[in-house]
Amino acid sequence: MKVSLRWLADFIDLPDPDPQDVQRALNSLGLKVESVTELKADWSGVYVGVVESIRPHPNADKVRLCRVSTGEAPTEVVCGAWNFEQGAKVAFAVPGAVLAGGFEIGERTIRGVESRGMICSERELGLGSDHEGILVLDPDAEVGRPFADIVELPDYVLDLEITSNRPDQMSMLGVARELAAFYQVPYRIPPAEVAGDDRALRTSVRVDDVDGCYRFVARELFDASVKPSPLRIRQRLTAAGIRPISNIVDVTNYVMLELGQPLHAFDFDRLAKNEIVVRRARAGERLLTLDGVDRVLSEADLVVADAEAASGLAGTMGGGDSEVSGETRNVVIEAASWDAPTVLHMSKRHAIRTEASARFERGVDPNLPPLAAARANRLMMELAGGTSPSESIDVVTRAFVPDTVTLPLAEVDRLLGGVVPRSEVRRLLERLDLEVEGEDPLAVTIPTRRRDLERPADLVEEVARLYGYDSFPESLPTGPAGGYKDEQNRHRSLRRVLTGAGLYQAINLSFSGTDDLEAFAYPADHEARLTVRVSNPLNEELATLRTSLLPGLLRTLRYNLNRGSGDLGIFEIGRVFINAPWAEDDRLPYQPERLGFSVSGHLGPSEMGNGARPVDMFTATALWRILAGGLGLEDWKLESAAPAGYHPGRTARVMLDGRNIGHVGELHPSTAAAYGLEGRIAVGEMELTPLLAPVKRWELVEPSSFPAVDFDLSFVVPEELPAGDLLATTREVATDLCETARLFDEYRGPELGRGRKALAITYRFRAPDHTFSADEIADLRQRLVAAARALGATLRGEQG
Amino acid sequence: MNLHEHLASAEAAIQAVKTLGDLNELETKLLGRNSPVGEARRQLGKLDPGDRPAAGVEVNRVTAELNRLIAERRGELTRVEENLLLADDSVDVTVERWTLSQGTEHLVQQTIDEVCDIFIGLGYRVEQGPEAELAWFNFDALNTPPHHPSRFESDTLYLDFGDPADEVLLRTHTSPMQVRYMQSHKPPLYVVVPGKTFRSDTIDASHLPVFHQIEGLAVDSGIVFSDLKGTLAHFAREFFGREQRVRLRPSFFPFTEPSAELDVSCFVCGGASASCRLCGGSGWLEMAGCGMVDPNVLDMAGHDSQTLSGFAFGMGVERLAMVRHGISNIRVFIDNDLRALRQFR
Repeated sequence: MKVSLRWLADFIDLPDPDPQDVQRALNSLGLKVESVTELKADWSGVYVGVVESIRPHPNADKVRLCRVSTGEAPTEVVCGAWNFEQGAKVAFAVPGAVLAGGFEIGERTIRGVESRGMICSERELGLGSDHEGILVLDPDAEVGRPFADIVELPDYVLDLEITSNRPDQMSMLGVARELAAFYQVPYRIPPAEVAGDDRALRTSVRVDDVDGCYRFVARELFDASVKPSPLRIRQRLTAAGIRPISNIVDVTNYVMLELGQPLHAFDFDRLAKNEIVVRRARAGERLLTLDGVDRVLSEADLVVADAEAASGLAGTMGGGDSEVSGETRNVVIEAASWDAPTVLHMSKRHAIRTEASARFERGVDPNLPPLAAARANRLMMELAGGTSPSESIDVVTRAFVPDTVTLPLAEVDRLLGGVVPRSEVRRLLERLDLEVEGEDPLAVTIPTRRRDLERPADLVEEVARLYGYDSFPESLPTGPAGGYKDEQNRHRSLRRVLTGAGLYQAINLSFSGTDDLEAFAYPADHEARLTVRVSNPLNEELATLRTSLLPGLLRTLRYNLNRGSGDLGIFEIGRVFINAPWAEDDRLPYQPERLGFSVSGHLGPSEMGNGARPVDMFTATALWRILAGGLGLEDWKLESAAPAGYHPGRTARVMLDGRNIGHVGELHPSTAAAYGLEGRIAVGEMELTPLLAPVKRWELVEPSSFPAVDFDLSFVVPEELPAGDLLATTREVATDLCETARLFDEYRGPELGRGRKALAITYRFRAPDHTFSADEIADLRQRLVAAARALGATLRGEQG
Repeated sequence: MNLHEHLASAEAAIQAVKTLGDLNELETKLLGRNSPVGEARRQLGKLDPGDRPAAGVEVNRVTAELNRLIAERRGELTRVEENLLLADDSVDVTVERWTLSQGTEHLVQQTIDEVCDIFIGLGYRVEQGPEAELAWFNFDALNTPPHHPSRFESDTLYLDFGDPADEVLLRTHTSPMQVRYMQSHKPPLYVVVPGKTFRSDTIDASHLPVFHQIEGLAVDSGIVFSDLKGTLAHFAREFFGREQRVRLRPSFFPFTEPSAELDVSCFVCGGASASCRLCGGSGWLEMAGCGMVDPNVLDMAGHDSQTLSGFAFGMGVERLAMVRHGISNIRVFIDNDLRALRQFR
């Protein structure tokens, strides 16, 4: 809503017209000022002049010589426009004047005749685009006045953001009413008396749809002359962002901006049988709306029709057929009250948003139509002449009367903490033009324009708002002690571990495409194919929710690769969505949180001349080990696995507390190719919740002060035996004594035989309370070999 | 040569020595059996008994002095030789031979953590809620009228899931968690809820279809409007800096009454520039929506709006980060460009 301060002065005398001050007042009232635009007179030396006489130019046919007076001795100018006659009031630029764009007016000789000054067009004054003729002023314009006065310049236009609960503020009157409450000054309602006659009305109005239309007021105007509005009206409409059209149409818009009631003007002679019918559209009925679109209507649409056809979408947009045109002589003015949801859905359905629909969809005062119709009638008579019956048509299908809300003062204290003195409450409400009765509780009468005030809390807001949010002190409630939960602290630890390992955290959109499902070649029954679809997607990229974090992570690798960052490790924590009921609320899809990572190129230390280690499966398992170590996870192991999208020989299933929580490994080369990635890509994806589950509290194991004994054993084992199994099984021989067991060599050779490999392990044993004897060491060694033998291993160099 | 002269010439010789080896040789020469000191010690027995004590003292004095000078010189030479060795061991410290990289957390994550930390300090807990949510929690329970424009398909993403009567959607704000939390917890309630939110928007410099909010809710007996103001003012000063001014400006949300917007003074121009790129000249930056919990919301969540009161607020995480870090294009949050990610430590 754009508000001109000059126009606002019709409604209220502001104590301080400084736009900064008004801006502060409006912000404090909740009418947010988005911007303030200063409208300046972009010229100097322009005055109101009168054309005293006109004579032909002796040497040219297309121009005339005009004697123009601005109160002093007339001067003669050459003028090429023909849209005025002797006696016309014009905007006259005297010699030395500077017009829009720095154009200076001098004395010139045109075809042998001296011309001292210029009669200006709208465009030359920077007021509009019209350059067909010169700007002709109202006949009562005062000769000799600076032209800037006539067009109300300088002016400030405040662009206000009106909240959706306050349609009553969407007018000059509404804004004036708020400011009047703020400054405690009166406001004015513009005159609306119609000097009509006692003729009978000729139009009939029938409201067939009482759910959509609460009230319909119509007025008639005959023998009007349709022409451009006076400059002031046009300037005010332009400042408000509305294009001037003709006096009749301009008045409907002007009064809407004044009072907040959208209006429509019909050409009386084009309404079949002089009938206006409010009804639902027939399915398939067509209407050519003012924007030139031929629309097909449905039974959900509410139309204003004549006896034959729809002539407008109620409260939204008129139709081209019954529109007021240059030939119009007789006019019917419509001011109606429409059901807000009906207009809202209609304007959404037809994608039309107009000044009218913006107001009706929020709710216009249902009792405003009579005043607005009369005000429009009066203004039209002023601007277009003609005559009107005094009477108007007023069809009321649902009467709205003011409600009463009871406000106990204790309720004000309870929510506002006693900051506003009880004695002030009544006065604050009265400043808003609300009628207040009683002492405590207060009985507050709510005018029908304020349908946002229904309950005590709504009135408490009004009290606080007018008292001024700035006037409230600051306090802090004394709540209980706060704190993070274990899992939230572990969430942070997890992120610190991963960033410490060199990974960056990414956040991707929660959507993925069918391409992703194909790239990962999920089998038909795979969980990742249980996608949840958006029923109203904006486009195909935002149509399907992700079932895995990996596609997003791979696209991010590709994005960075394209920008020269090929060595990159990233992780993401976020929800995926599976089309199955969620245990926490089975009305919703399963939406577990996952942790995913992807790494390309190189990760880790690099030395001059020796690049960092290229990424491969071991990067993925290392990241898991770092994570498990950092989070204190103990009971886990990795097992060979071949999930969809991963390299079948270089991927591990992550088992935590005996449960599969996800996978880490290398991306399948074809999957990598589908994302435009080359080389080995380390990836992993797992459930987040098990990682954050609390771990047991550690008890200190006193470091032993006795010496350790280290020895190496080399086992020959079947090819398919994972080294991890051999390590785990042999460690169990003496869990308490075995400090470490590490694989230090893996060897294959003809002497071992086909299908066999050698694994060399270095063990370190240490007792908490004594130094090992030679016998003990021999015994440990023997038990290790025996445990390994159970897995099919023999000590290298021995015969199996 | 008397001992006095010997000491004087020895001092010069000690200072002249350049290596530890030469110093060792010199030490033998100056203090050995055949040195003037050794000679003087041997001669002591031959002196008159009356002269012996004085001569003895003199021999000891010179010996001690020589030892001191030699030890001092030895210390000096040791340091010189060590420095020579270290000099041979020096490298160009500006060369990066070996490095361990350190990643970063996403700026959105860092911002969420920081905001949550502030509220933890005020006695809050942190919760998170479902992203695929029931329309009832997202709209109805938050007092949104059945025909409110926010419900339109042009704004909200609905999901094909389950019973159509349940209307499942991608939550458009973190506010539904207000209701879920109120339903499952007894007052006093002090909670913040960070999380993803969704709108039907195409991606451009100022819109993302997926973004983040942080919701706050306090429900207790005796909570008043000033508590809301004090809480958000405290937050704003902690997050944006103690020197920032804050104001509450009346606004409207269906689920709060009274409602307000939290504005923070512009930290680029402080309101001094009419053409400020950050605030556009208003001097204020809109940072959060807030208000006293609407009585209908309390009632619908099963609490008594007659005895309890509370406040709620919601803020955009990307917005907080953009304002604070001078980010003009919101796409930076989903591009995950390493060159941007690594800037926020």
